[in-house]
Parts: sequence; structure tokens; C-alpha cells
Amino acid sequence: MNILKCIELLRSNIKALKNALIAYLIVLVIFDVLIHLGVHGHYFVDNIPAFWTMFGIVGCFLLIKVGKGIAHQFLSKDEDFYG
Amino acid sequence: MDSWIHPALFFFIGSLLIPFVKGKTRTFLILLIPVLSIMDVAVMREGVYGSFNFLGTTIVVGRVDKLSLIFAWVFTIMAFLGALYALHVKEDGHHAAGNFYIGSSLGAIFAGDYLTLFIFWEIMAFSSVFLVWYRKDKKSIDAGYRYLLVHVFGGLCFFTGMMLYAYKTGNLVFDRIGQSGAGVPEYLILAGFALNAAVIPLHAWLPDAYPEATVEGAVLMCAFTTKTAVYVLARGFPGFEVLAILGTAMTVYGVFYAVIENDMRRVLAYHIISQVGYMVAGVGIGTELALNGACAHAFAHILYKALLFMGAGAVLYMTGTAKLSKLGGLYKYMPLTMIFYVVGAISISGFPFFSGFVSKSMIVASAHEQGRLILLSLMNLAGIGTFLSVGLKVTYFAFFGKEAPIQAKEPPKNMLWAMGLTSALCFIIGIYPDALYMLLPFPVEYRPYTLMHISEMLQILSFTGLVFFLLVKKLAPEDKMNLDMDYFYRYGGRAFMWVDVHVISVIDSYWGELYRVLGLKVLFKNADISYGFDRRIIDGVVDGSALGVRGIGGVVKKLQTGKIQAYMGFAVLFLVLIVWFIIRGM
Repeated sequence: MNILKCIELLRSNIKALKNALIAYLIVLVIFDVLIHLGVHGHYFVDNIPAFWTMFGIVGCFLLIKVGKGIAHQFLSKDEDFYG
Repeated sequence: MDSWIHPALFFFIGSLLIPFVKGKTRTFLILLIPVLSIMDVAVMREGVYGSFNFLGTTIVVGRVDKLSLIFAWVFTIMAFLGALYALHVKEDGHHAAGNFYIGSSLGAIFAGDYLTLFIFWEIMAFSSVFLVWYRKDKKSIDAGYRYLLVHVFGGLCFFTGMMLYAYKTGNLVFDRIGQSGAGVPEYLILAGFALNAAVIPLHAWLPDAYPEATVEGAVLMCAFTTKTAVYVLARGFPGFEVLAILGTAMTVYGVFYAVIENDMRRVLAYHIISQVGYMVAGVGIGTELALNGACAHAFAHILYKALLFMGAGAVLYMTGTAKLSKLGGLYKYMPLTMIFYVVGAISISGFPFFSGFVSKSMIVASAHEQGRLILLSLMNLAGIGTFLSVGLKVTYFAFFGKEAPIQAKEPPKNMLWAMGLTSALCFIIGIYPDALYMLLPFPVEYRPYTLMHISEMLQILSFTGLVFFLLVKKLAPEDKMNLDMDYFYRYGGRAFMWVDVHVISVIDSYWGELYRVLGLKVLFKNADISYGFDRRIIDGVVDGSALGVRGIGGVVKKLQTGKIQAYMGFAVLFLVLIVWFIIRGM
């Protein structure tokens, strides 16, 4: 099946895929810096170039760390906890 | 045009007919019911229909305006997709329960007064619980009972509020309530609505029950209960500050649990809380843009969430488990299911060209417009968590990741068709948002496709992806369950049992002893006298009444066969009888 072949192809070229994705991320940040030139929004979130890049990185990191941290501290129980 | 057919009628009547037909006719009928209702909604004109006086209050069965129409559109479309997905289900009762559930939610959104709303509200709870029970294992039956008890509690809040409201205002008209004049009655009604919308801390019933429902039932349940609640909140309580705050809290709370959860369908259930949070927050912000956003998001959400539940359900149906820790490498066996699931996942995450992008952003933009930056950043944080858990975590660990020793096939054709159609709708709304915007209650000036917005969303989502792949080992699913608010009522129930066993029964046995020693002698004497009275006088007057009661007891005994289908049949029959008595009495 075609879909399968595509996925297998991507999986066998994982290194190239990685590089392409990193290039995409860099382009994304440059693009955001460019569209911020000469634009003045109401609030600080509108005026800092690449603000949402930083927000994405920090937010995702916090969600994983805090989420798993709290889970391991006291939220996670065995499957048959309630019997 | 004055005539108006309530679309709920197709579902109520149709579900009674399903048991009497077989084979192709049955398939045709199951699909015909939602098709007729879609056509009915398409020709419907705005206005007030089915209004009459009942016990001194005005009952309005059909209030048709833009707000109720947009929900009617998506409910009937969803009914079709859900019916298509469930075509292979053999139990007639399952289809009947689903149709009663959908019909009553349509009844609720067209209701113009609290009484009509309340009746449909309760039918919704009592018909949807069968979609949990039809899974027929102990966990589902227990979860169903908890679901029912919680909803009965919510219904009682609503009912008490409704009665106090009627006492306060002298009428039962269901319309916009101002925040300044709201007192105990209004807030009780609000609490009843909020429970159905899974507003924290009244949300635990949702991730408790939905993952235990049948594969096909969960697809329906994720669409109707919470979105009917969003509708009534948007109708009655726009601009309530408490909703803006709790709604935003819901968005983050839901994704937080989704990040740590192991069961695929439970991840999705927590995301309902998160996504409904956006809508509740939109209602709470209460501007035209925000209310439009809440409705648009409800519309888009019903479709992509159903799509996600269809995908997860297909995995459960074909492999027998939805636990991420037991899945992996499914892309080889279920590539189509994977693609449809991914379409749902990028729609919910809000990627450009898919439906979440054009609907969720209206609510976020309304928070921005009002200068509520805390709400704005929390909503965007929830956006990160959405993509992280539904988009990346589930897709990675179920369809890729470490290959699990599971061989599976694609699900039946009807399931694939339902997923395909729903995917198409998610995409169409994404590239042609005006189709959705023209249904909204207020005129739309908002434009989703600006460079700023596209750049903002792509940055948030792409860098979430980056962090995911850096920390992917940390996210490995674990064979665990996570405590939530249901802890309190589950243990509350046990505390009650403890009091019952250790306190009440002890008192009871002491009382019994006392009674035996002191009371019995008196009682014997008394009994002698009354026996004589009974024998000589009563039996003489009402001879044969005892035999009559015993006869009825025999009939009731036969009714209690222990089969869900039979119970449902009798419940429906009983309902029809009650309605007949009411109509006859009027």
C-alpha cells in the first residue's frame, strides 16, 4: 500500500528527515521575526519576535516535567486501586 | 411557513421501529433517521413553535433561532456519522438508546422553558447510561451507575434551582440571565448545567464513564452531553465571570491529565474537558466574538472529537485494548485508521487548514481583544498540551514507537467510511471557514488566516514537537491509573457504607433486641385484636383484594427478567403511558 511505503521511506531516511525538520524550525523563527518588523500590537505578547517559540518550548517542558512529577508523587496508582 | 416538525421525533419514533425490521431495511432505517432530521433542520425557519399553556406556565417546545439552529445542524450531522459508525452493532437496544439520547439532546436545545429542558435533560442522562452499560463488563456497569448518580445529583441541582426560580420570578421562561441579578436559584441552575459541561470540580464523571462505554457509544456520548450544556450556558449565562475563570482552568486541567494518562480513550476524555473549557471560557467572556467562538468551537469540536474517538475506538475494537503501554507499531496494520486519527489530532491541535484553527482561535482572540492575557496564555498552554498528548503522544505510542506483539486489521468498512467523512468535514471547515461562520449567532468579522496567527500557531505547535522528541522517553506510558475528583465520591460512598455497617446496623440490632424483649408481648396482644378485626370486618368488605395484589406481584415478577433490552422496552412503554395520561388530562 502506498501510505505504508511512504512511511517506510521516511523511517529509513530518519537523519534527513531530522535535518529537514530542524531547517523548518529555523525558517519558522526567521519568518516570525520578519513579520514583526514595523508591526506594533497592543500587548507585549504581540511585540516580541518569536515569543510563541519560547512559549512553546517552556510550556511543553513544564507540562511534561510538572505533569509526570505530580503523577509520580501521588496521583498514579495501580490499575485496580479502587478494587 | 407555520408547520414545524421537531427533529427529535424522527429519533424517538425511529428507535421504536428498529426492532421490527431486519437486514437491509434495518440498515436503511438506521441511516434514514438522521438523514430525515438533517433535512428537517435544513428547511426550518426561525420562530417559536409548539407553545402552549400547562398548569399556568407557558411551555415552548420549539424555539428556533440562530443559536439553537447551529447546534441542531451539528447534532443531526453527528447523528448520521455516529449511526454510520455503529452500523455493525447488532443490539437493537444500543441503537434505540443512542437515538433516544440524540433525540432528547435535540429536545433540550429547542426548549424555550425550564420544564421542557429539564425533562429532556433527564432523558439524556437515562438513555446515555445504556451506552455505557452495553459494554457489559463489571467495570462498565459500575461506571454507569456512578455516571447516573452524578447526573441525578446535577439534575437535582437544576430542579431545585428551577423551582426556586419559578417561585422568585413567577415563570419558567429560559432566557439570558444577568450576572448582577443572579442569586441562589440562578446559581443552582448554573451548577446543574456546569456539571453536564464537566466544569471542574464537577467533571470527574466524564473521564470515569466515557472510556468504559462501548466503542460506538463513546463516539455519540463525546458529542452530545457536554455540548448541550455549552448551548444552555451560552443561552442563559453569557458574561458570567466564574465561567471565564473555570473554563480556562478546565483547558489546562484536562491537558494536564491527558499528558500523564495511559488509556487512549481516557486521554481523549480528558481532552473533552479541556476543549469544552475553551467554550465555557468563551461563554464567560461573553462578547459577540467570544460567543461566536464558543458556538463555532462546539461545532468543530463535535466533529474532530468524534473522529478521534472513532479512531481510538477502532483500535480498541480490533486489538481489544486501548492502553498505550500495550500498543505500538499499528501503522503497519491500520494505516487508514492512523491517517484519520491524525487528521482529528491536527484538527484539535489547531493546525492551519484544519477545523480547530478557525474555531478555537476565535475564543483565544476574544480573550486577547479584552486584554485578558492570563486567560490567553493559559489557553495557549492548553494548546501545547493538546498537541503534545493527543497529537504526539497517542499517535507515537499507539501507531509508531516500539512494536507491540499485536496483529490487527483495518476496522469494518462502515467505520472507515464514517471516519473518512468526518475527516473530510474537518478539512472543509478548515479551508472554507465561512461555511461554519455563516451559521453563527452573530455576524462574523473575524478572519483566522492572518500571517500573525499562522505564525503564532505554527511556532507553538512545532516547538512543542521539538520538545516532545527531546523528552520522549520521559513520556513513556505507564500501566497506572490517576486519581481524580471521583476519589471523593467513591470514598464518600465507602464511608457511607462503613457508617451503614458499623453504626446504623449496630443501632439497628440493639433496637431489634429491645423490640424483641419489650415490644413483642405488646405486639402479640395487639395482633390478636387486629386479626379478629381484619378477619371479620375487612375481609368482609373488600373480599379478594389480597388475591388481586398477589396477582399484580406475579406480573411484576415476570417483568423483571434481568435483560437490559427488556428493561428498556418497559421503560419506553411506561414513558408512552405517562405521556398519554398527561395528554388525556389536558
